[in-house]
Amino acid sequence: MVSMRKKTILVACGTGIATSTVVTEKILEAAKKENLDVNIIQCKVSEIKSYAEDADFIVTTTILKDSFGKKSINALPLITGIGEEQVLKEIIEEIKK
Amino acid sequence: MSIIKYILDLGATVMLPIIIFLLALILGEKPGRAFRSALTIGIGFVGINLVIGLLVNNLGPAAQAMVEHMGVHLNVIDVGWPASAAIAFASKVGAFVIPIGLLVNIIMLATRLTKTVNVDLWNYWHFAFTGALVTAATGSLTWGLVAAAINAAIVLLLADWTAKMVQDFYGLPGISLPHGFSAAYVPIAIPLNKLIDKIPVINKIEADTDTINKRFGIFGEPIVIGLILGVVLGILAKYDVKGILNLGISMAAVMLLLPRMVRILMEGLIPISEAAKAFMQKRFQGREFYIGLDSAIAVGHPAAIATALVLVPITILLAIILPGNHVLPFGDLATIPFMVVMVVPVTKGNVFRSILIGTIVIGVGLWIATNVAPLFTQVAAEAAFKFPTGATEISSICDGANPLTWVILQIMRLF
Repeated sequence: MVSMRKKTILVACGTGIATSTVVTEKILEAAKKENLDVNIIQCKVSEIKSYAEDADFIVTTTILKDSFGKKSINALPLITGIGEEQVLKEIIEEIKK
Repeated sequence: MSIIKYILDLGATVMLPIIIFLLALILGEKPGRAFRSALTIGIGFVGINLVIGLLVNNLGPAAQAMVEHMGVHLNVIDVGWPASAAIAFASKVGAFVIPIGLLVNIIMLATRLTKTVNVDLWNYWHFAFTGALVTAATGSLTWGLVAAAINAAIVLLLADWTAKMVQDFYGLPGISLPHGFSAAYVPIAIPLNKLIDKIPVINKIEADTDTINKRFGIFGEPIVIGLILGVVLGILAKYDVKGILNLGISMAAVMLLLPRMVRILMEGLIPISEAAKAFMQKRFQGREFYIGLDSAIAVGHPAAIATALVLVPITILLAIILPGNHVLPFGDLATIPFMVVMVVPVTKGNVFRSILIGTIVIGVGLWIATNVAPLFTQVAAEAAFKFPTGATEISSICDGANPLTWVILQIMRLF
């Protein structure tokens, strides 16, 4: 087992509750399957500025204008169910980095 | 029938978990996961109840003191959408809203009346809310259920109608937004936007999104809004320094905690929501359809954010100066993006126009929210949410100020 620093993911949506909870649950489930431990901060898109500093990368279901220098992944497919696997794979790869 | 009545009378924290458990089983969920999900929903209700108590017990007396000292009659507390959603789901109509919403959607898809597959089960609460108000006004559960079904149908039509505009403006192919709150403002925004076209000078004004987002950024942080409002209300209520600071922190706490509690509800709802999504997509695949999602996916757009930020101080000002308004804006100051998210594409992203239209609908909305406050409070009390008796009434902007909800309520009242 390669020792990895525990990654912090910022999951943002319009409410910080609705779609981001769905995404958070799916990331946690996918990470658990891979035996990965992650930290997730859920927030509103207008709060990203305040939390971005603590995050390794950003996952969002909404339109992101400024990702404050962090990599961002659009997780809308996790909500629509179309292209879900692809996005989860991308997120897992990012956690493993 | 008496078994159904018995379950409905158990109270939301017991009734809803039972219904969710059964519904999850019907949709093909494993019993273990269904049980966990049902229990989680019950826990969410308990949590929301605690935080509403914190809000009303702190803000209620402050609002009363402010009425006495300042003569500003803002004694109806805006509990915000998290509380409104919980109250709606906890109502008797709420118990049936998921099957009803799905049924309306399936019938309309089968008869090709809609192209939208509404997989956003969470936001079925808007339909439950309308239904709950109708039931409270008419005393009839049946009329409440009919109202919820009508609301669900109208919102699907609005989603279809606005789909192209939303897809083009926000760059969301294949998606529509059957959102009970956001979509309700489109039929108002379109004529208002046409009216603005005809007014010289005003029709040329543009506002700079970046500047607004920088200057008004603070209004996008709910905990800061909570703190500031708490402190200001404490001062207006003539509290001592200790009281003022305590109210500030308590209100910041409510802004953070209430949505957190709703998140627990959401978590409980996910397995059902996923099962329903799979069911609907399997049935209607191959046809051209839109996937109906929460308008939350679009509120990140800079023009929507900028519009909503400016509307926060405008809402507070309107609440103070509008004669006949009794609503003290609080919980839903963080919900304004949802009010404007489908207005912004109507104005083609013109922030100035969106603010103008937003100001009008919020002004009218405050009257509507004042008007429904007694019914709102009654529904909340029946759903077993705790209130200090007598003194305080509650309402909200989302959906207490929702024009579509109000129109359906007024029409159903005639029967």
